[in-house]
Amino acid sequence: MSKRRNSPVVGRRNFLKGATLVGAAALTPRAAQAQPLVVPLARAVPRPNLVAETMPPSRDPVTQTTGGGDFMVDVLKTLDLDYCAISPASMFRGVHEAIVNYGKNIKPELLTCTHEEIAVSMAQGYAKIEGKPMAVMTHGTVGLQHAAMALYNSFCDRVPIYLMVGNIIDADKRAPGGDWVHSAQDPASLVRDFVKWDDQPTSLQHFAESAVRAYKIATTPPMAPVMLSLDTELQENPIPDVESLRIPKLTKVAPPQGDSGAIVETAKLLAAAENPVLIVDRMVRTQAGMERLVELAETLQCPVVDMAGRMNFPSRHPLNHSFRHNAVVSQADVIVGIELNDYWGAVNLMDDRIVRKGRPIYKPGTKMVSIGVRDLFTKANYQEFQRYAEVDIAIGGDGEASLPALIEAVKRAVEPGRKSAYEARGKKLAAAKLKRVEQFKSDATIGWDASPVSMGRLCAELYAQIYQDDWSLVGNGIRSFWPHRLWNFDKAYRWNGASGGGGVGYNAPASLGAALANKKHGRLSVTINGDGDLMFTPGTLWTAAHHRIPILYVVHNNRAYHQEYMYLQTMANRRARGVENAHIGTTLTDPNIDFAALAKSLGVYGEGPITDPNELAPALKRALAMVRRGEPALIDVVTEPR
Amino acid sequence: MGSVFPRIAGTLAATGLAILVGLGAGKPAWSEDPPAGDAANGKRLYVAVGCFECHGRVGQGGAYTGPAPALAKTALSVEAFVAFNREPPNNMPAYAPSVLPENAAADIYAYLQSLPGPRPVTDVPILND
Repeated sequence: MSKRRNSPVVGRRNFLKGATLVGAAALTPRAAQAQPLVVPLARAVPRPNLVAETMPPSRDPVTQTTGGGDFMVDVLKTLDLDYCAISPASMFRGVHEAIVNYGKNIKPELLTCTHEEIAVSMAQGYAKIEGKPMAVMTHGTVGLQHAAMALYNSFCDRVPIYLMVGNIIDADKRAPGGDWVHSAQDPASLVRDFVKWDDQPTSLQHFAESAVRAYKIATTPPMAPVMLSLDTELQENPIPDVESLRIPKLTKVAPPQGDSGAIVETAKLLAAAENPVLIVDRMVRTQAGMERLVELAETLQCPVVDMAGRMNFPSRHPLNHSFRHNAVVSQADVIVGIELNDYWGAVNLMDDRIVRKGRPIYKPGTKMVSIGVRDLFTKANYQEFQRYAEVDIAIGGDGEASLPALIEAVKRAVEPGRKSAYEARGKKLAAAKLKRVEQFKSDATIGWDASPVSMGRLCAELYAQIYQDDWSLVGNGIRSFWPHRLWNFDKAYRWNGASGGGGVGYNAPASLGAALANKKHGRLSVTINGDGDLMFTPGTLWTAAHHRIPILYVVHNNRAYHQEYMYLQTMANRRARGVENAHIGTTLTDPNIDFAALAKSLGVYGEGPITDPNELAPALKRALAMVRRGEPALIDVVTEPR
Repeated sequence: MGSVFPRIAGTLAATGLAILVGLGAGKPAWSEDPPAGDAANGKRLYVAVGCFECHGRVGQGGAYTGPAPALAKTALSVEAFVAFNREPPNNMPAYAPSVLPENAAADIYAYLQSLPGPRPVTDVPILND
């Protein structure tokens, strides 16, 4: 918005210099006052400078051959940042121009977003699929405030975001108006509770070092957003000493492994247990991580509960007992939680009643082990660290990086005589899993032809259209159980986790960022998007169209902020008042939202609202044909609430 | 945030069902004359008192803070069904008699029994992909 700077620097400085001399004379010690004044006091008052006022004004330089922004781009190019998501803003115009002209809009390539929350959420979804950060640039104050919720989501989700904001540090350089309201003494203070590190460099060399450091910190487990405040003077002005600048080498930190002694102790517990259980959440970063987890589970023939913060364990594996969570935890004698976001919540329950009391699911005496980096980094204010977990062994190490040593230690600890017991355990678990899967399929048939469309039907129809592709479910905003109940999630990119902080507006842009990462791998990206979430960040669809990002949005349109509807019902029932008014403030009707029309208005193929389940398959076929051609598409399905 | 997929109600609901099925098999004082149900009125009430919010309009199941079980053709007795609504042993909102009188609950029960319930999975080929 604001355009800046027009200061009469030279003349003003000369004036101030004269005034300073006069002022100094007034403060001269008495002894010095005995000396004749060089300038009589009467003449100290500035008088019109006729020479200066009759000469043409001195010319400010109007062009420059170098710019700090160019050097900043050189630095960014060393960091392997493929994209930079932005909503354009004057506070980073110096870098913006350098990226598109000097940097040729390559590494990073700019992504135009219609809201900073969209930009950061895109980066969050992208990083989880691609395994590296995306850059984001925003205004220093208003843009950062827009971005803050998405940053919080990313922080809770342990995702690296490389955020840069513009700022004018020197008050003397701020033009009236916009420059002032868009500048801050300490812009990062707004988000410091949920970024891992921040800095405000005051020279280009300072920027180079901090830029490399920021990347290193963001990508070291536990990963999290970082923020750099970019002074506009550094971005925009000529480089005074270009020959002196250098870019430090980036060396990424190898993720820390758990202590070898504690790993061996854990392996002995697992090998000796009658009913060991593995619970995993934000563990798998790579396909190799998933394969190692499978190897560990198969070695032990023990159940795995995947909390689905990442795509950790194949959904159809006989040892995947995510939907038998309480059943297996209640029988466990050893529980190993790996990269759990909430260990306490994984082994305890708390009912939503008047008196909130927690109670364990596990048996007394169950041994518990935690492996992960959560214990290595905790901040105070926001309570995302969850309830304190009482465990017997706490291993501070990256879960995926610690698995090879744990697997080897388990193999050494297994007594040959116990292998038949392991096999029997595995067969029992496989039978229980099969029974549960058959139950899910049977449940999915209930209301198969009903309208509004059941979520079981919707997810079955969607999977039938994509299962032969190299698909990736990049979002599931309302956390429908049905995909994980019915679909074969067998690769690390089949699923991309959730928001982390529960901030609404995540699903649409994060899915798009993930789809961008999937694009170069030729994967088919689909997302199930809540109607309420999409209304927070509808501009995402325009970015999808503008940048030709192939993705299918299936709108799970229950015409409400339905979770809140149900919470209101809980309150009303607790007070015995009935639910007649629970729709007030929670539903999205009158008028119903036409998401297909919304999509079309933003350049995206759209169909719907679909109310007849028999129309689903043909509509999905048409929409997916667009996606397979490289375009985004949306179908709006009027669904059951859950 | 806990699991991406909330789980709290699921197993407890199953536990509660088991308990209440057992209760239904016994003889609570009020069960000797179970109210007859009106399925048509029950269908209306099922929506009006918000059962469908978590369990789906045709009892196909859904979710609240955890999975909400399918109710079509529920195996509960009517007595157990009413008792469950009064004091659910999980996160399900409790229905006081003033909000859901016993005869209304019986009508809803009749509606649930009138629903077709699941069909053979073999009838739906795409469920076997």
